[in-house]
Amino acid sequence: MAKILHIWSLSKSFPGQVALQDATFDVEEGEVHALVGQNGSGKSTLIKVLAGFHQPDPGHNVTMNDEVFNIGSVEAAHRAGIRFVHQDLGLVEAVSAVENLALGFGYRTGFGRRINWKKETLKTKQALLDLGFDIDVRVPVAALGGAARTGVAIARALQESEQNISILVLDEPTASLPGADVDRLFNAIRRLKARGIAVVFVSHHLEEVFEIADRVTVLRDAKVVATVEASELDMSSLIELIVGRKVTAATVNRSIDQSLEPRLRVTDLWGPGMNDVSLEVRPGEVLGVAGLTGSGRDTLIPMLSGAIERLGDVSIDGVTIRAGKPNAAIAAGLAFVPADRLRNGIISMMSVRSNTTIANVARNKTGMRLNHKKERAETQDWISQLSVVTTSSEAPISTLSGGNQQKVMMARSFRLDPKVLLLDEPTQGVDIGAKEEIHSFVDAAAANGSAVVIASTDSAELARLCDRVIVMHRGQIVDTIVRGGGSMAQSIDKVLLAGSSLANN
Amino acid sequence: MSTIESEVLAAPKRSLLNRLGLDRFSALYLWGAFMIIFGLWKPDTFLSMTSVKLVLGENVSTGILALAFLVPFCAATFDLSIGAVMSMSVVTMCFLSDEKSRSFNMPVGVAAVITLVVCTLIGVISGFIVVKLKVNSFIATLGLGQVISAIVLKISFNRQITDVYSDTFEKFGRNQYFGIPVVFFYLAVAGIIIWYVLEHTPVGRFIYATGGNPEAARLAGVKTDRMVWGSLIASSFLAGVAGIVFSAKVGLFTAATGPNYLFPAIAAVFFGASQLKGRPNVAGTFIALYALAFGIKGLQLVVGTDSYWVNPMFQGTTLIIAVSLASQKGIARMKKRKVKTA
Repeated sequence: MAKILHIWSLSKSFPGQVALQDATFDVEEGEVHALVGQNGSGKSTLIKVLAGFHQPDPGHNVTMNDEVFNIGSVEAAHRAGIRFVHQDLGLVEAVSAVENLALGFGYRTGFGRRINWKKETLKTKQALLDLGFDIDVRVPVAALGGAARTGVAIARALQESEQNISILVLDEPTASLPGADVDRLFNAIRRLKARGIAVVFVSHHLEEVFEIADRVTVLRDAKVVATVEASELDMSSLIELIVGRKVTAATVNRSIDQSLEPRLRVTDLWGPGMNDVSLEVRPGEVLGVAGLTGSGRDTLIPMLSGAIERLGDVSIDGVTIRAGKPNAAIAAGLAFVPADRLRNGIISMMSVRSNTTIANVARNKTGMRLNHKKERAETQDWISQLSVVTTSSEAPISTLSGGNQQKVMMARSFRLDPKVLLLDEPTQGVDIGAKEEIHSFVDAAAANGSAVVIASTDSAELARLCDRVIVMHRGQIVDTIVRGGGSMAQSIDKVLLAGSSLANN
Repeated sequence: MSTIESEVLAAPKRSLLNRLGLDRFSALYLWGAFMIIFGLWKPDTFLSMTSVKLVLGENVSTGILALAFLVPFCAATFDLSIGAVMSMSVVTMCFLSDEKSRSFNMPVGVAAVITLVVCTLIGVISGFIVVKLKVNSFIATLGLGQVISAIVLKISFNRQITDVYSDTFEKFGRNQYFGIPVVFFYLAVAGIIIWYVLEHTPVGRFIYATGGNPEAARLAGVKTDRMVWGSLIASSFLAGVAGIVFSAKVGLFTAATGPNYLFPAIAAVFFGASQLKGRPNVAGTFIALYALAFGIKGLQLVVGTDSYWVNPMFQGTTLIIAVSLASQKGIARMKKRKVKTA
């Protein structure tokens, strides 16, 4: 296939750091090209230079369709037919898809500058149908599902003179999408490919790379390590390229004393999307929860932790905890890490220290006074224990990368020395290095005697961590997979697929 | 892993603006500028002990009212009823301890205690509306403030009430110690208490956490409802204190007493929030309060007799300029963050 974009020796340095060094990168006509690497590896910089947000250092050589391409300028990228959809999508949530598209291009007006809504609606509907989304384009974007929202953002990026557009760049399009929505998005990407548009996409989910990408470019420490055909790679070789060393996933070797009383006992749990669920977790046991979005997998932990209301009895070591009261649950020995880190986890204006200690501030009190010195020392301890990358315990948590913020969330929970630890999507949006570290903290918590429950859409993660995995469907437990005897991840996926085909019937 | 990130964080490029701290200390610079400009312009009046004392004393009620606004503001909750609560406090004091009418004729101490109870109850009500009825605090306290203003007008018949208090009570408001008006010490004590609670106790941490991300704070075990409710009670109580201090110092009631103090108090908190720590805080509030107060005094001296318009003009413009400077800083910080995520 013909190469349309060709970049040689592209560098970008910021005061005090080199964010991208001597990168070589090319895009072929109509291919799906994955861009992978850990946080800070330079992939966002590459995209931002391409989009014209950043000026590259001099010395590069870039051609687009065999003509010199003035990289680092928004207009040049636009004129060359490169379009971008960023992770936050940039949609106006309160208005409809039609208006979101019109905002980008301007309303077509009829007599008296009246907006021709009929025409606009039809146009939007068609654009989304072309991407495989048959949705109501008149409802507010906020009411649409994750994939459909991404679809609207893509449609907006692609509108107007389409014959011109040759490359669409998607920055982490699947970061916040549940499994089924990822499939719909990939369907859209395949349709784009069929139209001859090359798609460059950034992702942390490596299995997606194998599913959709034709070629993969790996970045590490600001350099392009390799560009390879996806078919020539397997998971472990790709991870090795990304991390720069062999990652050996530790195998779980826990022995759970079955004679011990369960630490966590849930009886007849009812609530939104939850239909009479009972379960028990013993000290030192890690229970996984699998299931599609809406199956109950996503509401189980919020219900147990008191984030949302519930009916039914939840007890820790025989003591019942009140529903809908996170503070009561924490007091009873429960700790949890919520799924949506930015919305429900971090308090972004506060420091790493305040974020670490917020669930039990009183520990560092001398008399009535908060002992800041003691608190700082304790936080410093956690920072080094969990190897959190931060300038100090006083830095605002918003200056940390996603993986490091998540480690602070783990520290917040661990320092409570919980009897029951609940983790909701603990490694979502976290790079591989941090992911493996977070997994080893879970092992440590179990070894410490905590009863651990992990809800995750990542079957491999569940297989890596759990002694037992329950699969949920329509608010009920439809299967339990126990460690031992064959690949756990495969068994989980099999049940999940069976469940979704059930749902389709 | 991310060694690149740590390098960015370790070596931030410090601009001139940053090094001088023009953003975080702008109120101090402003204060200094006022002292120099008006000191040179009106050396004999502006720099005299009398006018310094006057400014220190005159702004005590505003300062206490600013603290009242500050506490819920740290929990991202607005209390706009505090102006009305302050007039409620002043009118209740007049009414209960009125020696001329002999209607209640209570000792001033008892009157003050009852006044504080009344004001605290108003805080309980506004907390109820915000926490239990889930009305946005801005709307709830704006509405409640109107209702209280109505009650104040009904009680006072919209008349000025003067010549109410005994000399002993007024001593509490007019004496001087070490050449400083006694009321200034009240402000200092109130400020120290609030500063201690906000910066050095778990409750302060919880209040700021509630203000930073209420849902995340709640999920981390913070009783956010209690923080919001409690901070509204504290603000009404402090507004009551501001009214009592005003009564002791000025000794009369007019319907405009409370509401006129609301804007300067809010201005000090907003301006102060951009100072020192980049979040609402006591020290920043006080610095902003007195920077503005000295500026106004200077301008009044320069303008002379018809300076009645100076106050709102000055408060308004400085607030807008100060907050716009702070958001420039916010923009700069966002740019820095963008570099980091690269």
